[in-house]
Amino acid sequence: MRFRIGSSVSLLAAVASLLLVLSAAAAQARDFKFEAQLIWATMSESSPDPQHKPVDEKTRERLAKVNLKWKNYFLVRKVDASVPEKGAKEVVLSDKCKISIRQVDEENFEVSLFGQGKSVLKRMQNISKGEMLVLGGNAPDSTSWFVAVRRTE
Amino acid sequence: MNDEQQLKLQAFLDGELPEAETREISAWVARDAEATALLKELRQTRQAFKSTEANVQLPESREFYWSKIQREIERDLPAAPPQRPSLFHRFRRVLVPVGAFAVLVVISILTFPRGNGIDSEMAVADSEAFTYQDYDSGTTLVWVSYPAER
Repeated sequence: MRFRIGSSVSLLAAVASLLLVLSAAAAQARDFKFEAQLIWATMSESSPDPQHKPVDEKTRERLAKVNLKWKNYFLVRKVDASVPEKGAKEVVLSDKCKISIRQVDEENFEVSLFGQGKSVLKRMQNISKGEMLVLGGNAPDSTSWFVAVRRTE
Repeated sequence: MNDEQQLKLQAFLDGELPEAETREISAWVARDAEATALLKELRQTRQAFKSTEANVQLPESREFYWSKIQREIERDLPAAPPQRPSLFHRFRRVLVPVGAFAVLVVISILTFPRGNGIDSEMAVADSEAFTYQDYDSGTTLVWVSYPAER
C-alpha cells in the first residue's frame, strides 16, 4: 500500500509533465484551416451565371439560423485557406472581393474584408473549430452578397 | 474413517444430532465394524469421566459466566498507543490529493476550449453594421451597409 501510493504520485507528476511538453510541441507546428465562400443570395430560382450552384445544405441551414430571408443561395466561389500560427492569409474570392484572416491567439482571429481594394470591415472574432463568421451586405436588384468563413480545423 | 465421521460419532453419542442424522449414523454403525468399535470406545471413555470427575455446578448461568470472562479479557488488554504519523506520512497525505488536483487543472487547461475571448470587437469603415449571433449553430452574421456593384 505504501509503495503503491508513492508510485501513483510519481506517475501523476510524470503524466502532467508529459502533457505540458506535448501541448507545447503541438502548439508550435500548427496551421488553422478555413473555408471561405462567396455567396450570392436572391429570391430568384436561378442565377444568371450557369456556373453558380446552390450552396450545400449545411451552409444553407446556418444562413437560415441567422434569420436571413433569401430563397436561394448560390455559391460563387469557395476557397480553402490555411492560416499559419500567429500569421495571416489572404483569400481572393473575386476580382472585387478578398478577405484576410489573421490569427491573434488560439481561438481569436481578425477577419478583414476588402471591396475593390478598399478596407470595408475589420472584425475580431472568436472562431472555434466548426464555427462560421458570415459577412454580408446588399447587392443590386434586391439581392445580397455573403462571405462565409468557416474554420474547419 | 475421517475426522468428520469421528466427530459425527461423538455427536451421536452425546445426543446432539437431529433425528434424521441420528438414524443415518445408527445404520452406519450397524454395518461398519470400525464405527462400532470407535463408538464403544467413546462410550467407555465417557463413562470413565463420569465416574471419576465430580460434576461442578456453577452458581450462575452459563452465558453470564462466560460474559464475565470476556469482560476480564477485554479489561486486561492494553490499549494500543496512539501512533504519531511521521513527517513523511503527513506530507504524503497532503501531496496525493494536491497532486491529483494539479493534474486535473493541467488537463482542463489543455483540453477545454477557452471561452469567448476578444470576440466582436470591430473596427469598421461602416458605422451601420450590425451583428447577429446564433450560439447553437456557432454562426455569427455581420451585416454591413457596403453595397456590391454590378
